[in-house]
Amino acid sequence: MKDKKIKNYHQGESFFYSFKYKYTWFFFLAPAVIILLSIVIFPMIFSLSLSFHDWNIIRAGGWKWIGIDNYRTFLFEDPYFLTAFKVTLIYLVGTVPLQFALGLITALILNQIVGKVIGFLRTTLIIPTIMTPVVVGIIWRLMYNPDVGMLNYFLSIFGFSPVNWTGMPITALPSVMIADIWEWTPFMALVMLAGLQALPQEPYEAALVDGASSWQIFRHITLPLLAPTMLVALLIRLMDAFKTFDLVFVLTQGGPGMSTEILNYYTYRYGFKFFHLGYASALSWFLVVIVTIVSLILIKMIRSRGTYAEG
Amino acid sequence: MDRFLTEKVKKAFLVIATVALFVFILFPPAVLFLTSIKTELDALSFPPKWFFQPTLKNYAAILKTSPLIGYAVNSLIVASLNTIACVVIGSMAAYSLARYKFKGSENIAFWMLSIRMMPPVAAIIPIYILMKNVGLLDTPWCLVITYLTFNLPFVVWMMKGFFEEIPRELEESAFIDGCSPLNAFIRIALPLVAPGLAATAILVFIFSWNEFLFALILTGTKAVTLPVGIIGFMKETGINWGYMTAGGILALVPVILFTMLVQKHLVKGLTLGALK
Repeated sequence: MKDKKIKNYHQGESFFYSFKYKYTWFFFLAPAVIILLSIVIFPMIFSLSLSFHDWNIIRAGGWKWIGIDNYRTFLFEDPYFLTAFKVTLIYLVGTVPLQFALGLITALILNQIVGKVIGFLRTTLIIPTIMTPVVVGIIWRLMYNPDVGMLNYFLSIFGFSPVNWTGMPITALPSVMIADIWEWTPFMALVMLAGLQALPQEPYEAALVDGASSWQIFRHITLPLLAPTMLVALLIRLMDAFKTFDLVFVLTQGGPGMSTEILNYYTYRYGFKFFHLGYASALSWFLVVIVTIVSLILIKMIRSRGTYAEG
Repeated sequence: MDRFLTEKVKKAFLVIATVALFVFILFPPAVLFLTSIKTELDALSFPPKWFFQPTLKNYAAILKTSPLIGYAVNSLIVASLNTIACVVIGSMAAYSLARYKFKGSENIAFWMLSIRMMPPVAAIIPIYILMKNVGLLDTPWCLVITYLTFNLPFVVWMMKGFFEEIPRELEESAFIDGCSPLNAFIRIALPLVAPGLAATAILVFIFSWNEFLFALILTGTKAVTLPVGIIGFMKETGINWGYMTAGGILALVPVILFTMLVQKHLVKGLTLGALK
């Protein structure tokens, strides 16, 4: 028996595929799949079904089938949805590209630095990225405090009058966005620095021999080589930006008015402040569709290229 | 000479830019820390005091008079149990996907990755209703289970990468000696990926520890975790900055300590394995 096994092995057939172990993979995999089916897929189907009903958990009465009315309402009739949608767009456009640009610049600068100090600098970049998001909110609430906050202190040094940062509709959204930029620019820098450090050295050596300028080197070597990493960083950030919740909750609770009410927060409020669970489910499916589109692009990239960089 | 000068200018620019950047990153957390060791009077003075008598009164006060320790214990229970469950179930699944390349194994792996990317607000409504119906609301168990939704796919995806990196010959020669697949997994494959497993477990712990939205909705009084508990210091009547900042610092301590241990795998973890 053992001899036969060894013979098979030498013929290039792995034991992992031998008949005896043909179904072993199933027992290893089954617990995870069953758990994910029951706590993700089943609830999602439940929520999809709920989104076609009218149901308020604090009102008497059960589910009432109303077809696609929830979807029709928010797409065509709910002016607040439109506001939340606009706020979300401004939020995304104002944070993600800026984080990307600042992160890229940071990564390019840090890539020039050699020596022991780079370890310290990398660690610093990690701090905002891994920090409890609620604490990031607390930090910025402290910074924005109209009476004792640091930002108004700096304004007063330069002779400006104090600003009620998170308390006015005009400044509230930019305030949350600045906190978001502070939180996630280091992430972008970290990812792109890892990408830069994994780039092959040969093209750079060849370019130096040919006498290329730094701009030419950046434009024709670094950019194209780094492009996949850049895209991955952008897509991950974009996907997560749709899910922003903690910062808005701690800093402004969506206010004043609806000035910082991004879609994610709007959905939360419909579900757990107004308890319109049917409508909130429909709203959440809108988010699911958007995030799924972004994540499918990302997954397709990971799938076709495998790992982008090693470093 | 000219070239020497441009080099110097370039170097000076690099230094200035780097310092400015790191002041921008480190200043806000420094303010958090400074406020946490100020008396209430010092904390509320304007302009802010840079030189003051540091005090640990805020820390002593929240530890004694507020339920903060209870919140921390809840966080610890939820994060530890969730981490154990994820690591055990997730690494088994990852091993299956990495070693037994059966039909559709890639699709299952990417299906799990897509679950990791779902917006939590989509799952929270049905999970809230289900937890309410089975009577698990406001218990650590409901968070332990709910956090599986994002942490289990994460472990599977990370560990799959680590398993694929180790050669399969060792396990195969063990099979020849009559070792069972389960034994090969536990005694040969797992020890080989131990560093990756530890890093993954730590990241899962941090994700659970930091989580806010699910904890906010699924807990009320008994199972409140640290992030939700700290936000409780923010009242209609005003914010107790001493408590809030000291609580924030205490919440950060384990995160920062643990992160230092997994620096090497952090980028891989944060980009879901798209980058190493």
